[in-house]
Order: sequence, then C-alpha cells, then structure tokens
Amino acid sequence: MRDTVLVVGAGLAGLSAATELARAGLPVLVVDQAQAVGGAIHRQPLPGARSIATGAQRRRWAGVMAGAAAQDRRITLALGTRFGGVDHTGAVLLSGAINRLIRPRALVLALGARESVQPRPGWTLPGVETAGSLQTRLKTLAEPPAGRVLLAGSGPLLLALGAELVKLGRPPVAILEAGRPFARPLAALRLPRSYWTEAAAYLARLHLARVPILTGTHLAAIRAEGGALVAETTDGRRFCADHVALHDGIRPNDIGLPDCPSLPVVRLGDCREALGARAALADGRAGGAALAARLLGQPEPAPDPELARQRAAQARLSRLYAHDGAARLADLPGDTVICRCEARTVDDLRALGSSPSTRQLRLDGRFAMGPCQGRFCGDWVARLAWPGTPNPGVGAPRWPARPIAMADLLAAADETEGETR
Amino acid sequence: MTGTIFWTGRPVPFRTGETVATALLRAGIAAYGRAPTGQARAVFCGIGLCQGCLIRADGRITEACLLPARDGLHLSPESGDDDA
Repeated sequence: MRDTVLVVGAGLAGLSAATELARAGLPVLVVDQAQAVGGAIHRQPLPGARSIATGAQRRRWAGVMAGAAAQDRRITLALGTRFGGVDHTGAVLLSGAINRLIRPRALVLALGARESVQPRPGWTLPGVETAGSLQTRLKTLAEPPAGRVLLAGSGPLLLALGAELVKLGRPPVAILEAGRPFARPLAALRLPRSYWTEAAAYLARLHLARVPILTGTHLAAIRAEGGALVAETTDGRRFCADHVALHDGIRPNDIGLPDCPSLPVVRLGDCREALGARAALADGRAGGAALAARLLGQPEPAPDPELARQRAAQARLSRLYAHDGAARLADLPGDTVICRCEARTVDDLRALGSSPSTRQLRLDGRFAMGPCQGRFCGDWVARLAWPGTPNPGVGAPRWPARPIAMADLLAAADETEGETR
Repeated sequence: MTGTIFWTGRPVPFRTGETVATALLRAGIAAYGRAPTGQARAVFCGIGLCQGCLIRADGRITEACLLPARDGLHLSPESGDDDA
C-alpha cells in the first residue's frame, strides 16, 4: 500500500486524476462510497436501467472511462467504500466493502460538491430534499418519482433537474427560481457556447411540457397538509406537491478533511473549488499529472487554462443568478430550524446575543456540532450571527469526516505495516 | 424486483444495486421514525453528508441513502424497539 496513491471519489475529478497518476506509472486505489462510478454529475444507472444523461454528458463520461480503462493494470476501483479520514501519521481509515487502515503514498480528495440549501420553515419535513438528492435518484433508477414534484431555490441545476423529470414523464409542477437569470440576455450571451446549448436544450424540454418557471420567486415556507406538502412563496402563491427539491448552489465538499503533515494531500475538482463538471474534469487531469510529477521528482506541468475559463464562466453565471435571498434569513420565523442535526432554531441562535463567538455558537448554541459537522448549517449560522462579514467559518470540523461505527473501527485490518502511529 | 427487505417487519421489494432509501421510498416510506431531537428521520442530501436518514439495519445504525439493499435485510427506526 505504501506505493499506492489513494483517490477518494470516482467522479470526473477522481477518475481523471487516477488515470493521470496511473499513466505516470503509479499504482492507484480509487474508492467511492456509492455503488456506481460517476460521482454526482455522471452517476451511472442501475444494471438494466436506461441512462437519462444527455448526449454531451454521455460523451464526456465515455472519454473519462476510456482513459481509466486504458490504465486498468494500475487502477483498482473499490465501490461501496467510505473514506473515514486521515490521522497525523498519514494512516487512512476506509470502511465498507474495503475495511482497512492503510498508509498510502499520497491522498487525492475528489469528493465533489455539497449542496447549499437555504433554511426555510418546513425544510426538515420528510419529502423535502436537496435537488442533488432527487437527481442522483433519477440518474440511478431512471424511474419517475411517485407524485408531484416542486423544484425551488436558485441555480442552473433546477433547470437540468426539471428537464430530466420531463424526460422521465413527470414534469415538475413548477420551478421557483429566486434569481432572474433570463432578465439580462446580453450578459448571458457572454457565457461559453456549451453553457448555452445545454441551457437551451433544458429550456426547450421544459417549455414543451409547459412547466411554469417563475423567476424572482422565493419559496418562503413548506408545511405538511393532508398527506401532501404545501409550499408558499413570499408573494403568497401556493403549490401542492409530494416532493419538494431545494437547491441554492454548490460549495466544495471539503468539511472535515484536514491536511496531513506526513502525507501529500491534494484536493481536486469541486472538492477544491466548486466550478462544475467541465472544470472538475480539467482539474482532475491537471492535478493528477501535477501530483504524479511531484511524487516522481519531475518538473510539474503548466496549469490548465481551462480552469481559469471555467472560473470566469461560473462567476458570470453567478451574477446572472444573483438575488437577495440570503438577506431574507433575518426575516425567518424564530422557530425555523437552522441546524438540522440538533434541531437548533433561529431563536436558539438569537439567544446567544449579538455577535456571539465561535465558541459560544458551538459549545453553548450547539450549532455545527452535530454529525454533519456544519455542512448544512455552517454558512447560514455565520451569516445570521455575523451579518456583513465575508465568508466567516463556524469553527474547525475534524476527522473522522463522518460518523464511523465502532464495529468498523475495530474490524479494520491494519495494513500500516506496524509503523509507529 | 429482485429481492425483499423488511421495514418494521413489512416486506418491501428492491431492484439489484439500489439503496435501502430508494427501495423504501418506492414503497411510500419516506420517513424512518424520529431522531432524538424529535425531527423526522428522512432523506435530505441523498449522498451521505447530512446524516438525516439514519436507520437501523440488522441492528446497526447507518445512512439509508448509502446502504445497498440486500435480500432479507431487516430495517427499523434508529431509536425505539426494532418492531416500532
């Protein structure tokens, strides 16, 4: 294991990095918690299920898989295997299909993105989930959800997901988009052509299915009523649905992934900077090649200019979708849950006084202290606690990156070769 | 459908390779009892990050959204009796 580079995540960034590392002659172990490769964007369907991916998505993924297949002598893939974390000695805990403590030569973290979802009354009800959660299910099963679906929040993912629901014969009852992305067509024209063709295909599909797309519309609250979910907008419109999928953008899925002094650790793709699929592919390739060069003592290759292009495009996209939704946090009812893990509310946060310290937020308020380590509340707690402060964090998540069963810890085969821990 | 899992004793069919969460949802089971906070246990992020869908599977607590369904698996709410 000492020669092996461990890549966590079998999506675009992870598999393309693994391919470059293997091409340079290094043995690579790729692990993924899911039962199929593809990550979130290219999650592959169950055996026998028909893929709902677009032609462009299929071609991109086929290219990644062909690259990995050409290096299959050096790449080992372990699905259903979770990364627990890395300690200060460079020992990595894997659990699931592979249950081992290993000491790899280097660690590539390509865990993709986490979704940002703005808290709203009712966002903890069963049937309310992230757009990514619903999308992963559609891609895996290729079957429509039972009942009516409402999509709300902000970002291009809502259009993609809406189009996929149409494809499966279950158009969403509406898409509530907080931004006004179609209000400035001239600015939109400056996006790369591939963004345009993708958006046009989604919009055409949604239009043909007569899906209402309400822009500048905020979903204010959701409540359970008569076995269904009733969603109400800030301007008083009501929508009934059985599923509500929420999405307010993506962030790097990098919480609880500390650096390690005794092991090269590299983050790639959305896990490093959330710039979407095109950037994740470029970053995986370039980052994999750069790490291989570093490990082999060779000069590092020049950075890929594609990353800068995608960064500019994503910034343009964010401006098109800009809206004042976060300002509405201050108006949330006091009993709105902010921290989902421990059901801590807006009132619980206010009770800590104005400008609480991180220590107060965590130890007294119990915010960002639950098993998700603040992945879903941290950004909002910081905004509410310290309004106007740019990008503050609410403390230091630590490994294990997720709860690990004692049984897994005890059963893990120690392959760190008896070295000092 | 290629196998059967059991939710508090009730048989639920599943497709090969799918998770416990998607099999249960197809059978109309979206909530898995209550968390110690009183909140309903249910899928939210769907990718193992939020820990919202914790469920008891053959006695062990784990994320329903990540757990592959396998024939004969017995599932119950995280807390309370196995027959709750």
